[in-house]
Amino acid sequence: MINRLRDLRGARGWSQQHLAEQLEVSRQSVNAIETGRYDPSLPLAFKIAELFGLAIEDIFVSPTREQ
Amino acid sequence: MFSIRRHEKLNAAQRRYLLRFFPAMGAYVAVLFGCTWLIRDLKPTGALLALLSVMPALPIVLVIVVMGAYLLEERDEFIRNRLVSAMVGGLGIMLAITSVWGFLENGGAVAHFPTFLTFPLWCGCFGLCQCVASLRDRVAGDAA
Repeated sequence: MINRLRDLRGARGWSQQHLAEQLEVSRQSVNAIETGRYDPSLPLAFKIAELFGLAIEDIFVSPTREQ
Repeated sequence: MFSIRRHEKLNAAQRRYLLRFFPAMGAYVAVLFGCTWLIRDLKPTGALLALLSVMPALPIVLVIVVMGAYLLEERDEFIRNRLVSAMVGGLGIMLAITSVWGFLENGGAVAHFPTFLTFPLWCGCFGLCQCVASLRDRVAGDAA
C-alpha cells in the first residue's frame, strides 16, 4: 500500500529505529511498511495515525485510489 | 527461527523463545544418548522398550510447542507474518519432497525414509524459506 510514512518520519527527523520504538514494533516492520512491502493491520495503522496526529487516510493511500 | 541483524535487539518474545528452545534441545540430546545407551546395554523388551524408544520424541514435541508458543507471543505482526509464511512455505517444500520420495520408495527406487526425520526436514525447509525472506527484505530495504 502506498503511504507517506517515510516523508512524515523524515519531516520529524526520526530514524526508522526511533519510529519503531514509538510504535513498539521492529525496525524491519517500519522499513517494510515504508517500502510498501507490508500492509499494517488496522490496529497498527491507527497507532501510526495517532502517533502523527493524522487520520489513517492522510497517511495511507486507499488501494482503489492507487489505480 | 528468526533473523535479526546483529545490531538489533531481540524482543521479549524472541528472548523467551530462546530460553525455552535451548533447554529443550539440550534435553533432547541428553535423552537421546541416555535412551540409546540403555536400550543397547539393558536390551529391554515390552513396555520398558516402548518407553525408552518414545522418550527422545518428547523433547521434540516440546520444541514444537515452544515454536507454537513463540508464534502466539510474538507481538510484532510483520515478524509474525513472515514467520508464518516461512513455516507454510517450509511445509509445502517438505510435503513435495516426502510425496516424491514416497512414490520413489514405493517403486523400490530409493531407501525407506524414517518418519522421525520429517520434523528436521521441515525445520530445514522452514529455515531456507526464512533465509530467502530475510534476504529479500534486506535487498528491498537497502534499495529503498
